[in-house]
Amino acid sequence: MQQDVPTTQSDIHLEVHDLVVKYGDRTVLKKVNFEVNRGEVLVILGGSGCGKSTLLRNLVGLMRPYSGQILINGKDFTGMNEEERMALRKRMGMCFQGSALFNSMTIGENVALPLREHTRLENSTIEIMTRIKLELVGLGGFDTYMPSELSGGMKKRAGLARAMAMDPEIIFYDEPSAGLDPIVAADLDMLIRKMQHTFNLTSVVVTHEMESVKLIADRVLMLDKGEVVGYGTLDELRQTDHPFVQQFFERRPNEEGGDEATYLQALTGNQN
Amino acid sequence: MTAFLGHTGRITLNGLYSGSTVCVLMVETVNWMLVQPLRGKGLRVRSTVEHFVEFGVRSMPIVGLICFLIGAIMAMQSAYSLEQWGATRLIANLVGVSALRELAPLMAAILITGRCGAAITAEIGTMKVAEEIDALHVMGLNPTKFLVVPKFLAMLLALPCVTVLSMLIMILGGYTVSVLLIGLDTQLYFEQTASALATKDLVTGLVKSVFFAVVICWVGVYRGFKVEGGAEGVGKQTTASVVNAIFLIILVDLVWTTLFYFI
Repeated sequence: MQQDVPTTQSDIHLEVHDLVVKYGDRTVLKKVNFEVNRGEVLVILGGSGCGKSTLLRNLVGLMRPYSGQILINGKDFTGMNEEERMALRKRMGMCFQGSALFNSMTIGENVALPLREHTRLENSTIEIMTRIKLELVGLGGFDTYMPSELSGGMKKRAGLARAMAMDPEIIFYDEPSAGLDPIVAADLDMLIRKMQHTFNLTSVVVTHEMESVKLIADRVLMLDKGEVVGYGTLDELRQTDHPFVQQFFERRPNEEGGDEATYLQALTGNQN
Repeated sequence: MTAFLGHTGRITLNGLYSGSTVCVLMVETVNWMLVQPLRGKGLRVRSTVEHFVEFGVRSMPIVGLICFLIGAIMAMQSAYSLEQWGATRLIANLVGVSALRELAPLMAAILITGRCGAAITAEIGTMKVAEEIDALHVMGLNPTKFLVVPKFLAMLLALPCVTVLSMLIMILGGYTVSVLLIGLDTQLYFEQTASALATKDLVTGLVKSVFFAVVICWVGVYRGFKVEGGAEGVGKQTTASVVNAIFLIILVDLVWTTLFYFI
């Protein structure tokens, strides 16, 4: 499934330099570095609690990092003021894990919202554009439905349509296949590929599903406990002998028991 | 001793922190309500009207009913004392003045806190839990402009309207009891009411209701944005929102009643 996306070496869309994120005293991300070329799909892979969702929240500017830089189109996103951020965000889309559709609005109104707020287009034009976007994700004719009337997979599609409303250059997906059955999840993977292929869309996908990774990834960034343990194409990653990467690929459980002393310490709560 | 000092310190810090959060929220709201519309950034009129209908029109039946009953109760209660002096005609004065200056604004505010303040917190809290607030941020839409300002404007318009109607209904409640049970004359009751009331009483009630509206909205919104975790967080903050708002309403009421006593 590896498509040949025409990219030049210098066409870097998103760069992250030495990103450090802390919650209070706890360091969640330790010096993360990577870059994404224009029109490429980068998959951020890792176990639960490895910091991948936190990384995504930083990339879209919902959190400010402790230190480090995020460059989008070569511009420093972290150092921007709110107004510049807002302007840049109009060129970004994000699909949330739980779709985050506005429950008080119909699907059509949800998709039309960014257009209504950010553009001065005629109502009729907005309606047509909304239908085009819904058609694109396979939800043509559903514009009058409320989010609560849709299934999980359809909600995610509608969320994607809303993210695509402003014709973004870069799109972020948070766990697109979480909570979906394998068929619907595969459909969604194909949709991610289709979007990237049709619009030359730079995509960043956070997931823990190996099956999706095989289908959609141009490059993979693997995180464990806030550290990058692997970065490259899927094949390159398979070659590495990092124990966590191998364990993840082979779907092996953690060794049980572990150190007896640590176990005793955990039980008694004794810090010594 | 150290524990006590640490505890006091933490409470103070938390208080200061939430105080500053509320201040930031206030500045943001005023900015998006007054300054940004002048720069052509617009207000969300449709949403404001919808909220006005919800806060004002839909609250009217229950607020009206309760105010009618309170008026009746006040008339009965004052008759009990005034009968001994043969001054039952003063029931009209008592009901009229306390309705306008105190009870109608207070009852309306407390009922709307329970009905709408809680709804504001629950709505914003649920949106926060479902990542809808994050979605607004990512789409480049300001949650204050989008969610807070319409509610704020609607409440600022709705509560005074509800209060004025409540005043009338409360007087009507007092009138019904006085005429039917105590045997006062209709004309006498209205003459007494008219002679007892001044414009100042109405202004007192309205000024209070505007401040109550501010309290209900800000507490509701602040608590809504404070929601963390899931459904449990929404429940916790909603309860806190109602309790805080009612407490602050009573406090603000005390301040204004004292001020108006001396003015």
